[in-house]
Amino acid sequence: MNTQLLLQTTANAGAVSAMYALIAVGLTLAFGVMQMANLAHGHFFMAGAYTVYALYALHDWPFWFAVAAAVGIGAVIGLAVERGIFRPLRGDVVGGFIATAGLMFVFEVFMGEVWGWGHMRQVPSPYMRAVKFFGASVSFQRVLVIPFAIACIGGLLIFMRWFRLGRALRAVAQDPEAASLQGININRMTALAMAIAGALAGIAGGLMSTIYAVTPALGGHIILPALIVVVVGGMGSVGGVTLASILLGFVMTFVTTLVDGVTAMMVSVAVMALVLAIRPQGLMGHVVT
Amino acid sequence: MRMKQLRKLVVPISLVAVMVLAIPWAASARKKKAPTAEGPSQVSEALSGLPAGLTLDEVVILSHLPDQQIGVEYPIGETINVGFLCALSGPDAGWGLPGLTGNTIWIDAVNKTGGLLVGGVRYPMAIHPFDDEAVASKALQGARELVLEHDVKFISAIGGDAAKATAPFLTENKVIYASLVPTDCDPSRPYVVAGGDITPQCNMFNALIAKMNLPSEEELGRPLTYALTTQDCIMSRQVGAWEIGAAKAMGFKIVYEEFFGVDTTDFAPIITAVMATKPDVISLCEAWPEYQTMMWEQLFLQGYEGVVVQNYADWETNLTKIPPEYAAAQCGIDSFPLMDDPWWGETSWQASFTNVWNVRYGPGAPEDVKRTMTGIDWDHMIWLIPWSIGAQIAGEETPGEWPSNDAILAALRAQASFPTILGPGHMSGKEMFGIDNMIEEPVPMCMFDLEAKDKRIVAHLNFEPWYASIKPVVLKAVEERGQMYYQR
Repeated sequence: MNTQLLLQTTANAGAVSAMYALIAVGLTLAFGVMQMANLAHGHFFMAGAYTVYALYALHDWPFWFAVAAAVGIGAVIGLAVERGIFRPLRGDVVGGFIATAGLMFVFEVFMGEVWGWGHMRQVPSPYMRAVKFFGASVSFQRVLVIPFAIACIGGLLIFMRWFRLGRALRAVAQDPEAASLQGININRMTALAMAIAGALAGIAGGLMSTIYAVTPALGGHIILPALIVVVVGGMGSVGGVTLASILLGFVMTFVTTLVDGVTAMMVSVAVMALVLAIRPQGLMGHVVT
Repeated sequence: MRMKQLRKLVVPISLVAVMVLAIPWAASARKKKAPTAEGPSQVSEALSGLPAGLTLDEVVILSHLPDQQIGVEYPIGETINVGFLCALSGPDAGWGLPGLTGNTIWIDAVNKTGGLLVGGVRYPMAIHPFDDEAVASKALQGARELVLEHDVKFISAIGGDAAKATAPFLTENKVIYASLVPTDCDPSRPYVVAGGDITPQCNMFNALIAKMNLPSEEELGRPLTYALTTQDCIMSRQVGAWEIGAAKAMGFKIVYEEFFGVDTTDFAPIITAVMATKPDVISLCEAWPEYQTMMWEQLFLQGYEGVVVQNYADWETNLTKIPPEYAAAQCGIDSFPLMDDPWWGETSWQASFTNVWNVRYGPGAPEDVKRTMTGIDWDHMIWLIPWSIGAQIAGEETPGEWPSNDAILAALRAQASFPTILGPGHMSGKEMFGIDNMIEEPVPMCMFDLEAKDKRIVAHLNFEPWYASIKPVVLKAVEERGQMYYQR
């Protein structure tokens, strides 16, 4: 591998790592608070992408206004799913898993019937240029994801450490029963967690609508890497998601460049299995007693 | 069940019920038709004595038929069912979904005359689509449904993995499967036909046209280099082998030849790997319409400065990701021209097809497809029309009954030439694919035109003499890759 190839691949990997982090951080938050995996998280992402398509591509809204709308749409969907699925099924891990799996298909069919199943939806790139780092070129749209990922993860960490509501979220994630005994309203906290998770998925989908093909199947493509990141990082650990995103981003990109994408996915799953074998709670997760 | 448990179920059940009710409502809201558009005046003109509703442009479209006798009454026979078994969704939908418009235009024009005239009987035609999502198992399911439930005699399809999966069943039922690619043709698949799509011929010509747009080896002081990357599927492997053979015959040194997974979503590392070999030509080969857009984007963003060739470029999509100046600078060589290309002339079969298409499917039209016409809208008609021609010729031997597909194919093979959308064609393919089930016709080659901001024909080439001159090199390359028909 020559220097130019190494630099370009590293630049690609950095951008992809930020993309994975932004997608997965909402998923790990929701999992941490509700102790249930939201398989429809990828479809919240898809809803964000379609929001930008509808507002920016079809109705000429400014791109950033459309992304802001995607955040709102994601939050509303998160609230609705918490109220309609996770709250009634609290404590029923298998039930929640199956319900969100079903929700994936409902979302996919709904989007397909509304927007059509055929061609990918065209979301024009608002920034049709590349950023050059030491001879490597990365799309400006991908580079934009990096500060947003840092801001979202950093903001979430600050919120959960320094703000009362954030500390309450952490309390519910650690021990819901004890949190309830302390007067924390569990329903409000789970609703808040899902709203934030949905908003994060919405912003990810909105920003990346010009990078991925916007189709009803988009959510299905996104959820697997997101789940791998969450499992490897440690379910419920925002710091773990950051670390795992970097690990997965670099593994996927380097192996795809040097071998192929199928091998890259196999290696990623193998890395996940290895981490789980050595540290079942993930890189920065907590052992559940 | 206790009240508390019942209450837990009320909300999720209500949520699901709302979503289920919302889906058909949303679908019906989306399908509201736009106001009828006013088409060009010549399209609405009908000659006296012709069936009501048949336009002059539709008469031109039907002109390929040797014996339609428009306006003459004949007894009406059974409905002949035709299948459309293609990807209507997913990353390969760009090669399937648009083709429905062309096939529908043909069938509706035929039906306006009462039906296809075969052996003294007019047979109305009906089309039945099935979305196989480019998945082999779904294609087989679709083939079974189309044959067993709808009694189709002819299926328009994309081919590749789907052709392989459906061949045994369709061979048993003697149903013609019109693939887009002759590489699907095989002596063990007597009813798989192709060639109207000019693949792999156009892929092979890519190397010739690319070489004409590059400095010579003498000027560069080194051999010209060629890289190929596309998704890993049967069609890509087959077509890619023929394209590499042609590139070698043109003197290119092959520096990269890799196939990425069909589930790929990130094309940045794919393009990085290709560009690391510093090729003069990058071929996207059979990259699916969705993928080729994202690959073009990465080529632009990573600063590729060589020639880009491919089987089919979707410029309406591509230009949402890359500036037209970049596409023009990299030549953007492909085939599947547009029917409104000035090359065809203002009075032509192609011009009439364009008129009919725009009035029905264009902006503001009753069935507005919300896009411009592409090179795929006519692509599936290119075998449907010869099949109809063959039926008319074969029907002369069996008046009063619809001829078998064996008779139709024999009738076509017996013709020295018959009309196709791209020019005079004849059946061929025994040497390349082991069976004369391919239509050989002139191959139009396109390049991106900056003024038009779309593809334009730059040459209309005769494949057979050129192929004869490079055959040994090409066949060796295809054999080395295990893609000859007797190796698969």
